[in-house]
Amino acid sequence: MLKTLIEAFALISTWEVIIAMFAASVYGLVIGSLPGLSATMATALLVPVTFYLSPIAAIATIVAASSMAIFSGDIPGALLRIPGTPASAAYADEAYAMTRKGQAELALGAGVWFSAVGGIAGVLSLMILAPPLAEVALSFSTYEYFWLALLGLMCATLVARSSPVKAIAGMFLGLLVSCIGIENPGGVPRFTFGLTDLFGGIEPIPALVGVFAVAQVMRAMLTPEPPPLPRRKFGSIMAGQWKLTKKYHWQMTRGNIVGIIIGVLPGAGADMAAWVSYAMSKRFSKEPEKFGTGHVEGLVEAGASNNASIASGWVPSLLFGIPGDTIAAIAIGVLYMKGLNPGPTLFTEKASSMYAIYLMFIIANIMMIPLGIAMIRIAAYILLAPRSAIMPIIMLCCAVGSFAIGNNMFGVVTVAAFGVIGYVMEANGYPVAAMVLGIVMGTMVEQAFVTSLIKSDGSILPFFERPVAAILAAMAIGALLWPVMVWAWRKVKPVRTAVATSR
Amino acid sequence: MRLPDSVTGSFLVALGAASAYGGYILPPVPGQPVGPNVFPLVIGIGLALCGLAIVFGIGHSFEEEEELIPLEDGQTAAAPLQQGKLYGLRALLPPALLLFYVIAADRLGFIITAALMVYVTSTALGAKWKLALPLAALSPFAIHLIFGKLLRVPLPAGLLPTPW
Repeated sequence: MLKTLIEAFALISTWEVIIAMFAASVYGLVIGSLPGLSATMATALLVPVTFYLSPIAAIATIVAASSMAIFSGDIPGALLRIPGTPASAAYADEAYAMTRKGQAELALGAGVWFSAVGGIAGVLSLMILAPPLAEVALSFSTYEYFWLALLGLMCATLVARSSPVKAIAGMFLGLLVSCIGIENPGGVPRFTFGLTDLFGGIEPIPALVGVFAVAQVMRAMLTPEPPPLPRRKFGSIMAGQWKLTKKYHWQMTRGNIVGIIIGVLPGAGADMAAWVSYAMSKRFSKEPEKFGTGHVEGLVEAGASNNASIASGWVPSLLFGIPGDTIAAIAIGVLYMKGLNPGPTLFTEKASSMYAIYLMFIIANIMMIPLGIAMIRIAAYILLAPRSAIMPIIMLCCAVGSFAIGNNMFGVVTVAAFGVIGYVMEANGYPVAAMVLGIVMGTMVEQAFVTSLIKSDGSILPFFERPVAAILAAMAIGALLWPVMVWAWRKVKPVRTAVATSR
Repeated sequence: MRLPDSVTGSFLVALGAASAYGGYILPPVPGQPVGPNVFPLVIGIGLALCGLAIVFGIGHSFEEEEELIPLEDGQTAAAPLQQGKLYGLRALLPPALLLFYVIAADRLGFIITAALMVYVTSTALGAKWKLALPLAALSPFAIHLIFGKLLRVPLPAGLLPTPW
């Protein structure tokens, strides 16, 4: 234990890792603070760069950039009422109301402080949960993996803030995309239409970049530019945070726990954690009437929650290769590329690398405090940069980055195509996150499914015979039927309330 | 690009049916009951069923209308005024530029292609030439420095090789 910890320290205390982490932090802070550029997009654009780094440095950049971007999305949310990342959308109104009351420092300080605390709570959960779960996971067969993957996909559709039917359709689209290529049980070209470029299948990373970055540039073409940020002088940012911590320690803990749980659930990420925690904070608050008028309580809970979910989202990713959210989906791609294939054995064979990941998360969250304060102070200048200067650079990065992944032009075509697909899907209410998870997990789902079917000689029964598999199956099927039950409940409910009022 | 649910749903039904058929005609693995054909078949059927459900409007009540943040008074959006028929097509500019990059980069070289891309995107987003020109002149070199020089991505040199 101590020996691996020392090894882990040695792994991260190289110049390459330190510089990569610092640069990625600054990058994450800047991208996260720009409205319209989300944390997922920041991470996706970073992937081509990670190709050229050592494994630990590559993961360090992902960890640092994603944690920072989730926090810095709070900055334009508080100052402009435009959330920088979707994860900050839940409480942007509240934070802006505080700014108007002259409490911008308190709002932003709470953002920094409770984000850092939440992030560290998330890492602790990763450290505590992952090893025992790995023990359990060692005994999993393909049946369990199949149901687990299905459960992950179903969770992604459940939490989408859209029609569950459309979310499931998006998931199927993603799975269909993953069918392309010759990497299938028969090794035959499937849906390649004779194009050799398609033989290798669709790489998840260019697809992600297209869906999250190019689609965003496309949307920017049609939406008006956000207003510039008024310049202001900030007082002390951390003042009063300790008092808040003591006053709202219960809310903070609850936010952390909710964030961790939502992070561990496959498919549900930071934005969902923030929405749930904000709603929960309002529901259980002693002074719910203050919410919406610039009350810090909801900010504390939701800020603690969305950052906690970032780290705990790595639990299913590292253990099963099932991403906890879209950022983790990108991280899985990087892990595979760097020879750290996700799976329960990772914790025994590459223990020092795992400890290095924990350490990097902790360091990133500690670094967030000074860097975050600096970022808040210079945010007014960064947000001066007009969209017409940033978006072209994003476009260039998309083109070059997707080319760099395989050093072929087909990657660029993929990015363009998925930009259009992502744009059309988003415009019509199909959640793209569900499709992304489908693409990332498709091969795994198919492998588990087909191997299981071969083992069982085409029979469905063995899928339910092992106890763990049966439980997971019940959960997955329950998740599938849940929207139907809610729908039925809503049909019944108006009748009931009508009866109640008539009495 | 908001299409009616019946259109997107029908498209999904067609796509699902096509992929189920495409999976069905794939050659099976000799001597095995399941092969590469099962998964597309299952997905295709699922997709078609979802498409049908969408056409009939099931699950529509779950959708939340996109919350537009109301602008403060005096700041009413001026954008809708200048919307012509072709305004919606502007969204297709980014993917079109990426395809242009694919076609032109090898012949023109990275620097020139990238400069054109930056200039067009920037102007389309409303930048004046005072911003767009210097940006188009400088940013390709910066990107080339990071990706081409530091990360050793083989970017095409084309007509105008970089000084390094």
